[in-house]
Order: sequence, then structure tokens, then C-alpha cells
Amino acid sequence: MSDTTLAATSTADLVADERARSAELARRADSRRNLLQNAGVMVPFVLVLVAGIAAVPNFASGSNVTNMLVNAAILAIVGYGMTLVIAVRGIDLSVGSAQALAACIAASVVNSAGPLVGAVVGIGVGAGLGLLNGVIATRLRVPGFIATLSTMSVFRGFVLLFTGGAPIMIASGGFKSVATASVLGIPLPFVIAVVIGVGAWFALDRMRFGKHVVAVGGSPEAAVDTGISVSRVILLSYLASGAAAGVGGVLLASQLGVVNGSVASGLELQAIAIVVLGGTSMAGGRPRIVGTFVAALLLSMINSGLNLLNVPSFYQYVALGALLVFALSIDGAQRAAVRRMLEGRLS
Amino acid sequence: MPALLQVVDVVQEYPGVRALKGVSLELAPGQVLGLVGENGAGKSTLIRVLGGIEQPVSGSVLVGGTERTFRSSAESQAAGISVVSQEFRLVPQLSVADNVFLGHELTGAGVVDRGRTRRRTAELLDQLGLDLDPDRPVSSLTVGDRQMVEIARALSREFDVLIMDEPTAALNGAETLRLHEIVRRIAAQGKAVVYVSHHLDEIFDICGDVAVLRDGALVAHAPTAELDEARLVEHMLGRKPQTFERAGSTSDEGAARLEVVGLRVPGVAEPFDLTVRGGEIVGLAGLVGSGRTELTRALFGDLTSAGEIRVDGKPVRLTNPREAVRSGVFMLSEDRKGEGILPHLDVTENAMVSRDRSSLPLLRRLFPVPADESAQFSRLRADMRIRVPHGRQLIGNLSGGNQQKVLLGRALLSGCAVLLLNEPTRGVDVGAKVDIYQLIKQLADAGVAVVVSSSDAPELAAIADRCAVYFAGRRVAELHGRDVTEDNIVGASVGQTAQEATHV
Repeated sequence: MSDTTLAATSTADLVADERARSAELARRADSRRNLLQNAGVMVPFVLVLVAGIAAVPNFASGSNVTNMLVNAAILAIVGYGMTLVIAVRGIDLSVGSAQALAACIAASVVNSAGPLVGAVVGIGVGAGLGLLNGVIATRLRVPGFIATLSTMSVFRGFVLLFTGGAPIMIASGGFKSVATASVLGIPLPFVIAVVIGVGAWFALDRMRFGKHVVAVGGSPEAAVDTGISVSRVILLSYLASGAAAGVGGVLLASQLGVVNGSVASGLELQAIAIVVLGGTSMAGGRPRIVGTFVAALLLSMINSGLNLLNVPSFYQYVALGALLVFALSIDGAQRAAVRRMLEGRLS
Repeated sequence: MPALLQVVDVVQEYPGVRALKGVSLELAPGQVLGLVGENGAGKSTLIRVLGGIEQPVSGSVLVGGTERTFRSSAESQAAGISVVSQEFRLVPQLSVADNVFLGHELTGAGVVDRGRTRRRTAELLDQLGLDLDPDRPVSSLTVGDRQMVEIARALSREFDVLIMDEPTAALNGAETLRLHEIVRRIAAQGKAVVYVSHHLDEIFDICGDVAVLRDGALVAHAPTAELDEARLVEHMLGRKPQTFERAGSTSDEGAARLEVVGLRVPGVAEPFDLTVRGGEIVGLAGLVGSGRTELTRALFGDLTSAGEIRVDGKPVRLTNPREAVRSGVFMLSEDRKGEGILPHLDVTENAMVSRDRSSLPLLRRLFPVPADESAQFSRLRADMRIRVPHGRQLIGNLSGGNQQKVLLGRALLSGCAVLLLNEPTRGVDVGAKVDIYQLIKQLADAGVAVVVSSSDAPELAAIADRCAVYFAGRRVAELHGRDVTEDNIVGASVGQTAQEATHV
């Protein structure tokens, strides 16, 4: 029957046509998203770099570059953890306090038991605090925002109690040299940040855990249905964020040589800013480690530039807040653009 | 032969509802069991219990003779139960291959073996007759292909029992046939399949036995050979099906209240043209994902669209629902719980919320008079046969049918010229269905132009004067008058015929 074959082919054509349309739409949405994400961090990066070199005295000097790279490294490491937490639709406001506590405990252990033990204890403290956040968020079912807002205050209280308000001087020269040592002319902390970054990227992109992170952040219902333990993934993400803050704290202690109870205050805002600026969506499911890394460099350059220009620190707060709003508006614009493209196909 | 899966006296309760009232079932190797029942009969609840998503209040589940408690879907899967869920449960950010193996990744030391994942996915998709690149992100797939990926995921696991909850709601005719072939093959391998479908001919095609749920209880369980469609429907409804008689055809003379010319909606292939006269009920039919939902949402300003829309001859620009309501267009969403009712308000407030107050004096607009509102509601309650004790009843505690009646009352009070209905009887008990059809008819007779988008072909056959059928984002048929039959609608929806019926 020629009639039915005719109908069959045209049906197949219709289906093929719909597939092509759907693929094209998704491709356009994707390229739009990538453009916004990349431009959102690369354009300011290049602008700040050029402006810094051109207009800021000593911006490109060896010591300032080293300084910027070390600051960026510490920020980036904390940012990786935050990337993970934001990718599972959480947020960790306690990273600054956790880093401070890790730094102070590490400093005092370095003085009593040596650099290596001190570093391990510092990272362990961070991981423990992260675990606590995770337990509060998953077992006690406190929303991550509130849970970490509370622990931000609790951890800061612990640091101040621990230090009694007094600074801790680190005696070990070996420990302090970690932050100033360099490999082939590149500061060691920066190398560590790159190595951890590659590891984090690999874990997220190629490992089972990463797929679960994307599933939990992208579609929690799908994660539950496929037998993924959502609370375990969230718990591990907070744990990783705390451990990252611990690593950052140890490096910070090494860089500063003297730590007190108020170091790393306001770090949470910087960490969130670089994560979102780097293209990790607040809506979850899209971690971008590379973006976080680049954004950490950008923020470090901005801070350094403002310092060299002797801009009072008050303005730096304003700049950081403005940067965060900019990053979030890019995130919002990106999502709105994608929604406009895909609208209607998903319902 | 021992039963692969036994369900013994399973009871499940939600606040205020007994969803399963002691259901017992047995599945033997090689058996294909059709599970049927009206919406809300408890099919989905039973599946969620078997899938480990919900834990029953009492009763037990036995796999291969040993009692098992599933605290999560992982445990149910480990016991050899694989579920294709009704909702789309894919992660749009991940690729097809990653989605298929999500939760049981092929890994070495935690690292995903991408080559093997891709190959196995390609094999599975090939089995399903789908030519799809495993690396494509799921967000780029059509709704039908997503459904296929979901089926591929269920097949990728090791299982003894496969549960499929309405797997063909988004599949076209050819895909459905291929799926049936696969179900038969799985049964021949000595595995058991539970197949849920609203299409009874599917049940008779592939199921050896059929179990009927009604109000959370198992009311029939028999080999399909011993039943015919009429008997099955009787079991599902608990009585003879009630038919809704259309009171004659509407005249062609009414003035056009809604005119749509060349409306372009993202994701729908063709520009959309539609003219609906006052008093007319126009149906939009098609599979899930065929584009009909998008069209109604675009007409309600809920989706960005470009084109010409005229209501009562006046051109309108619909960029958001607020404007749509002001222009005289009202929509009831298919997601009544999420987008329809205001659960914490009572029925009166729910009915009055969109009321056209422009004719009221200013003071009454700012401060609604309770006496006036309750009088309005009493009238509504009588007109629409809403079964509530009083107007202060919270709407969340009503049955789906009564909620829908209140929402239709809301539409009536909004004074709309055009009413868009999405799946108007989803989750509505059978008795209330006919009531709702009558109300829709009543609204149309009062001069409203009604557009009904539905996946329920008998429903459209019962109430629509005209019916446009969509397939893969295109209008493939337009049926008029006597041609609006269940068979014609279903045939066109699954792509069996692509010829256009004659236009009037």
C-alpha cells in the first residue's frame, strides 16, 4: 500500500526534523551559555591585567607577581571546595572562619610538634569542620545557607577562644618557607593550587563522584531515583569544602608567619564571587573548576592593584561586593538566555 | 516455579489518604502483568514502594521468596527491580551515556570507563532502534528520545523484574511497537515485567495477565484472555462507563473570540494558526512533548512567542499571564496542585482570586465584602455542583474533581473570553469527570471560546467540536465534527497517518 508507506516516511521525516530542531536549539543555548560564562570571566581578566600593567606602578614586578600568585592560589583552593558545594545547590559561608581556625591550630601545632604534623593537623581540622557542616546540613536537615551562617559564627568564636585574642608567631623557618619557595620560578603554593585543581577537575569530570555531584545538583529527583545517596554526596561536598579551607589555612599561616583570630574574615564572599564569576551556576549541576581558578587570579589582581594604588580598604569592600553582584547578574543573564532558547521544550 | 516478586498486603498512607489498602500480587518468571486503574487508583504509589522510593506503612515485599525492605532505590535495584518512572528523571547536564549508567557507573577505582560506557550505551540504544550519539547532552533530546533513554537506563541494570510506568506516553507508533517487541523478549528470558498503561489495547497486546487497582485496592487479577476491554473498564470504574452525550453540534455562526495567526513558539516547528468562535470547544491532541502544551502556555503569555493574537477582534500582546488575564484569556494548568490551587486558602478565596472586579465600586474592589463573596460562592457552588460543606473549607482537602470545579469557577468569575484547559481531568475521579465535561460545555454555551489540550483521546472525542492533532511539533491532522473520534485522534497522535484531514 503506497498510501501507508507514504505516511510512514513522512512520519519518520517529522521525527527526524524534530530531532534536528531540538539538537540545534540545544547547541545554540549551549554556545550562548559558554559565551556568557567565558566572557564573564575572561573579559574582566584581560581588562584588569592590561589596566594593571599599564596604570599600576610595580604591578608586574617580580615580588608583586609572586604575591599575587600566592594569594590567588590560596583563594583558588578554597574556591574549589566552594565550587563543589555550590554545584550540589548548597553554599558554604563558614570557609573564612574554618580557614582561620585551621591556620591558628596549624600554627600552634607547628610550634609544638613540627611543620609536617602542623600541616596535617591544619588540613584535618578543616576537614572536620566541613564534616560538621555536612552533618548539620544533611542529618539535621538545616538548609546549607543557615547551617554554615551559624557555623561561621561558631568557628570564629572557637578561633578567638583558641588564640585568646593574641597572635601566634610561627617559629619554624621551614614551615614559613613553603609559601615563599618556588619550583622553576613558580611559587610553590601556586603549583599546589594547580595540582589540586587538576585533581578536582578530574574527579568532577571523569569520576563516579563527579557524575553524582552533577546529578544531585542538576536533578535531585533523578539522583534519588537512580539510587544515588544524595545526602552522602552533599556531606562529602561540605567535607571537601572544609578540607580545602584547611589547606588554604595552612598555606596562609605559612605565608603570614603570624596568625591571629581574625585572619581570613570575609573570605566566604571572595570565594563565592570567584566561583560564580568562574561560571559555576548557583542553580547547581554545573561545576567549573577552571573558571574558579581564572577568577581567583582575577580577584587577586584586583586586590593587589587596589593595594598598590593605595586605595583605602573600605573601597576594596565596595569593589568586592560589586564584583559579586556582577558575577551573579551574569549567572542570571546566562540562565535567562538559556531559558529563552529552550523554553517550552522541557515541560 | 517460585514467584520472582511477591507483594503481600501492602498498605501505604499519606496524610488523610489511604493510597494502598492492602494490595497483594505475585509475579512469576516470564510473566508480563498489565497494571491498570484510573488516575489516583494507587498504581504509582505501588511502583514507588517497589522501587524503594517510599516505604510502606505495613505489608511486605518478597523477592525470590525472601522478604526485603527497601530503604532506597539503590536497595531495590540491588534486589533486581528496575523501574522506568513516569516522570522524566534524567540529568539534563549529563550526556546520554552518563545518564544511562547513572548510579551504576562502569568504573575502575572510581574513574568512569568512558569507552565502555559509550559502547554499552550505543548497544542498548541500538536495541531500542534509536540512532543517537551517546555523547549528546540529554538537554538536546526530544521528549520522545528522553523517554527512550530512560528505558535504556532501566535495561542497562541487572534485573529480574522490570517495571514500566506509562512508558509509551511520549512514544510514537513505531517506537511503541519496538518497545513491545523488547518486552516480549525480556519475558521470554524468564524475567517478569509489570506494564502500566492507559492504552488498554497495549495491555491486551502484550500482557498475559492484568491486575486492576481501584481506590488503592486490587479489584481484579485475571489472565487477559478472560477479559475484554469493556469488562476491564468496568473493573477500573467499578461500574458501567458513563458516556457524555454532546448536545448537538454548535452553530458556525458565533463570532470568532480568539484568532491566532502565525504564532511562533520556540520548540514548535510551525507557526500556529487557530480561530475559535464563542461557544466552540477546540481540542489539541498529541503525545507528551508534541508541542500542544507549549501552544497553550504561549497563548497565556507564559512562554515567549511572536505572532498575531486577537481576542474579540482586538489585537493583544501576551508577554505574561497577568496581561493575558486582563485581555480575557484564562488558563488552567495541567499541574493543578503546583500551579492551580492556593492550598492554604479556602474555596471562596480560591474562586474569587481572579475575579473581574472592574465593574465593582472602588471601595468594594479594595475591601472585598465577605457577605458578597460568600453569596457569589454559594451561587457558584450550586451552579457547578461543587461538593463542599461550606465556603470556608480549605481547598487542599478537597478531591481533585472538586478542586477542578472550583478552578473552573475561578475562570468563570474572571469573565474570560477565552479559556485554555490543560489536561482538565487529570487526577479527577471518574464520577466527577462527566460533571467537569458538563461544566466545560456550560462555559462554552455561555459564549466562552474553549481550547482543551489533553492526552486523553476519549476525553477530546467526548467534548471537542474540532480537534487539531500535533505530532513532533507539527499539526498533522485537523478533525471536524463526526471525525473527532478516539481512533482518529490516537492514530494521528502516534504518527500513523500524516495526511491532513480536509479543512472546512
